[in-house]
Amino acid sequence: MTNKSLKEKARQLRNTVVDMAVKAKTGHVTSAFSQMELLVALYLKPYMRFDPQNLEWEDRDRLILSKGQGAIGLFPVLAEAGFFPKEKLDNFCGVDSLLGVHCEWHTPGVETISGSLGHGLPIATGMCQAARLNNKNHLVICIVGDAELYEGSNWEALLFANSKKYNNLVIVVDRNRQGAIGATDEDCGCNKDGPHLEELDKKFEAFGLDVESINGHSFEELGGVFENIRETMSNREGPLVIISNTSKGKGSDVFEDKHLWHYRVPQGEELTKVRQDISQVLND
Amino acid sequence: MKNKNEKLGMRDVFFEKLYTIFQNDPNACFITADNGAPTLDKFATDFKDRYFTVGIAEQQMIGMAAGLALEGKKVYCYAIMPFITQRVFEQIRVDVCGHNLPVTMLGIGAGLAYDIMGITHHTLEDVSIMRTLPNLTIWSPSDSTAVDSIVKDSHDLQTPQYIRFDRMGVPEIYADNNFSIEGDLTEIVKGKDVAIVTTGIMANNALKTAEQLKRKGLDVGVIDVVKIKPLNTAKLLSILNNYKAVVTLEEGVLAGGLGSLVLETMSDSNNYKPTKRFGIDDSFVFENGGREHIWDLYEINEKNLSKKIHEWHTDTIC
Repeated sequence: MTNKSLKEKARQLRNTVVDMAVKAKTGHVTSAFSQMELLVALYLKPYMRFDPQNLEWEDRDRLILSKGQGAIGLFPVLAEAGFFPKEKLDNFCGVDSLLGVHCEWHTPGVETISGSLGHGLPIATGMCQAARLNNKNHLVICIVGDAELYEGSNWEALLFANSKKYNNLVIVVDRNRQGAIGATDEDCGCNKDGPHLEELDKKFEAFGLDVESINGHSFEELGGVFENIRETMSNREGPLVIISNTSKGKGSDVFEDKHLWHYRVPQGEELTKVRQDISQVLND
Repeated sequence: MKNKNEKLGMRDVFFEKLYTIFQNDPNACFITADNGAPTLDKFATDFKDRYFTVGIAEQQMIGMAAGLALEGKKVYCYAIMPFITQRVFEQIRVDVCGHNLPVTMLGIGAGLAYDIMGITHHTLEDVSIMRTLPNLTIWSPSDSTAVDSIVKDSHDLQTPQYIRFDRMGVPEIYADNNFSIEGDLTEIVKGKDVAIVTTGIMANNALKTAEQLKRKGLDVGVIDVVKIKPLNTAKLLSILNNYKAVVTLEEGVLAGGLGSLVLETMSDSNNYKPTKRFGIDDSFVFENGGREHIWDLYEINEKNLSKKIHEWHTDTIC
């Protein structure tokens, strides 16, 4: 897939996310929008190795969406990649649906339960170790939200991952600078913002990890790190951290980088404007 | 060489047997959060690639265990009990039990085993909280014979487990009294008037209490529950059917503990018996002076129990 067609796919899938959220009246739309290009690149380019017809394939790359809040953005990508029929998206959160607000193992293509933050990285280290024990060369890709990094368990895992030099571990930080209701690196004066994460790259580096920063909405820059990721990692001596700089709610001015949209679903005029904004992306 | 008469502690009996299992099962892995044991040292050297020290990082330990188990490994995690239950309750709930994985949490220091270490090291709430977890099996052996009886069954289970170990120096109930252990729960002393249902080290206090009460004319039996979850309810109810009244005894909080479990079991099957619970009632234990002193203060030793059970029986049952 060319970058242009990936971009179009990301636009279409943003619309799908909105459809799902509007119908179910739930889902973290803005969390999904910040990671959309990343997931489209990994699954639809695809940079990842997987087989939707063989979910237990030992050599598949493992992706853990540790920020499970982004599930509503992952599901349309998984459907597009062939893990389950797209019609299933229509029943998001409905009766007998395998698709809920957060990731759970019963969804084809989902490796782990997530939604309680700070769980993905420790699990990823176990998967990396198992791959090493089994002499497998697949990658373990763990996507964490930047605000998720407030959870101390991540740093327990990073210490361990570095000490074990897991060169099969790719950590992607969705750096949208927003948590649920507060920002990570602002001071709005409203007492809602969290402690500053900056300088985040230096924090990872202090743990012995190499960091690459990219624009997470650019397929060119995503390709720059993922095009040869297997070869890159095999030549590395430890995990790689990719800080994927993004905007929460990327794709519509209605909610991009705006507070209090983590829990909201657009409706009425807002919804109309969101649709317009998403169609605008194509014309950029 | 160990003296023949010198008995191994509960965890060491477990680790000795587990060592053989590790020799035969290349999928078995061990993670410790900076805790050791003399019998564990050879795991660290002989199974180098499958033995991991994560440091004092229990969240990492449980999460990593889940990751290994998701990839087909059978994982044992080891730490002092409060840190492998309360501190990582959510990791156990979501990562291990949510995926129904073969991860076994080995906790050392049941109840007040770390008596003088203070409330940070006491584990009085574990039965109450851990038995709320779907898919989890809970083993609560009362001595090394009971431990020995569960190692293989435990390894064969491909689901989450939690095993409660006491520290060194626990009386040998089964071996010293020539009792035969019968799997998940055993009526170690038979009686007719009152059944004391207990678990862990309290089985010993229950035995002594039963002896004292027999001298006072009360025919008291003792039931040692080794597998708390899933409880063998049919067997328990069948045994309790032979008694007029039930007492539960645990070295833990009453809220949600073994006593609650026994009451739930009787209630859910419409088998009602007069029942009295003994344990720690809604309290932290800040007192020093050692375990036996604490038992005396909280009235869960044979002296207090025999008096209280006798009074209760006289007032309520007679």
